[in-house]
Amino acid sequence: MENQINQNQAPVTHEVTLYAEPITHIGSLPVTNSLLTSWIAVFIIIAIVAVLRSKLKEIPKGIQNFFEIMYEGALSLCDQVTNSREITIKVFPLAFAIFIFVLINNWVGILPLGGFGIINGGAFVPFIRSGTADINTTLALSLMGVIGANIFGIVSIGAWKTFNKYVNLRALGSIPAKIRKDPTVLVVAPVTFFVGVLELIGEFAKVASLSFRLFGNVFAGEVLLLSMSALLAYGLPIPFLFLEIFVGAIQAFIFAILVLVYFTIAAQDHDEHEGHASSSVEKLEGELESLAG
Amino acid sequence: MNSLITTFHIDWKIIIAQAINFGVVLAVLYFFALKPLSKLMAERQKRIEDGLDDAKQNANLLAKTKKEYDDVIAKARIEAHNVFQSGKKEAEENKKNILEKTQQEVESMIASGKKALDAEKVKIVEEAKNEIVSLVVAATEKLLESHGDDSYDKNTIKRIEKIK
Repeated sequence: MENQINQNQAPVTHEVTLYAEPITHIGSLPVTNSLLTSWIAVFIIIAIVAVLRSKLKEIPKGIQNFFEIMYEGALSLCDQVTNSREITIKVFPLAFAIFIFVLINNWVGILPLGGFGIINGGAFVPFIRSGTADINTTLALSLMGVIGANIFGIVSIGAWKTFNKYVNLRALGSIPAKIRKDPTVLVVAPVTFFVGVLELIGEFAKVASLSFRLFGNVFAGEVLLLSMSALLAYGLPIPFLFLEIFVGAIQAFIFAILVLVYFTIAAQDHDEHEGHASSSVEKLEGELESLAG
Repeated sequence: MNSLITTFHIDWKIIIAQAINFGVVLAVLYFFALKPLSKLMAERQKRIEDGLDDAKQNANLLAKTKKEYDDVIAKARIEAHNVFQSGKKEAEENKKNILEKTQQEVESMIASGKKALDAEKVKIVEEAKNEIVSLVVAATEKLLESHGDDSYDKNTIKRIEKIK
């Protein structure tokens, strides 16, 4: 009994963990605070969509005006990335959904509700932790983005061409045909094949870079806010909250645009578009990654 | 790899749960927001374009109608002027004819009146003469009754008859 009382009176610790902490379990599924926040985000998005849907009218007013301006702006932005309205129309819903999902997750995560939670084994576990501050979420999104881009590539340019991007059998197969005219093909073809292998590795790198970038930025933001709150709970975190609102929007934007870039690259045939269009998209991708980093 | 999974608590169940969450968001956004919104905007765009086309057509039609109206008015003015001129000319001719006719009628009336007047005058003079003669005869008879001489009577009568 005395031991139990001592255990109950033990100080509650609040550690910042790299992983989302489980609050409860539904069957074998651990319901982590990040998953709970994601559900809240999904609920908020559904609520906003329901309000928008109920107010859709031929002559726009209020919220519909806002969404129409946002929709048209986002479409023209996507056009600048894809250089093709056809690709934009196909990929835009996915890119937009990623943006909204990540944005709402980021913003819900920084709501000042950190005091609400449960005490689990002497450690305080807050209910709210940004969905994107859990690698599982960002990994799910990046996997969907990269796999989706490759499927889109197969649908757009065909399975054989997509396969040859990674395992460039066409380059190797062209050696006997070209060797008499151009002996340098003996060097160029293996290099092209190796570039394909690098592209394949690059696909895994895309998953890693997308997921860890978003996770790292959002998690760092949460740690920053927690640290500022620990230093001085009143007033000091406010500017950092604004910073995190901004960072949350920027990270959501970068994630969505990068997925859009991956889809655009996947829809281009490297042999046919070896020049301008594909290099400009890749350049944009590089600029975005340096900005996000 | 294992350390990565352990450090970050990578759990495929949570990955699937988050993928489902995103799938729900994608479906909700696509079917209940983006699709209806884009459809509505496309319809509105079409309606605006149709409206602009209609307005252009109406403007062209209006311009054409106005031109036709102006042409008709101009033609009508010319016709009216011609009708007025011919009417005026006709009226003047009529007036002239009527005047001439009237003048002729007046002249013939004057002539016939003069003729009738002359005849009347002759008749009156004749009657006056007859009256005077009968008066003279009566007066002479009165005078002769007082003289009682037949030869004088006969002579006087003869002289009077000569006067007649």
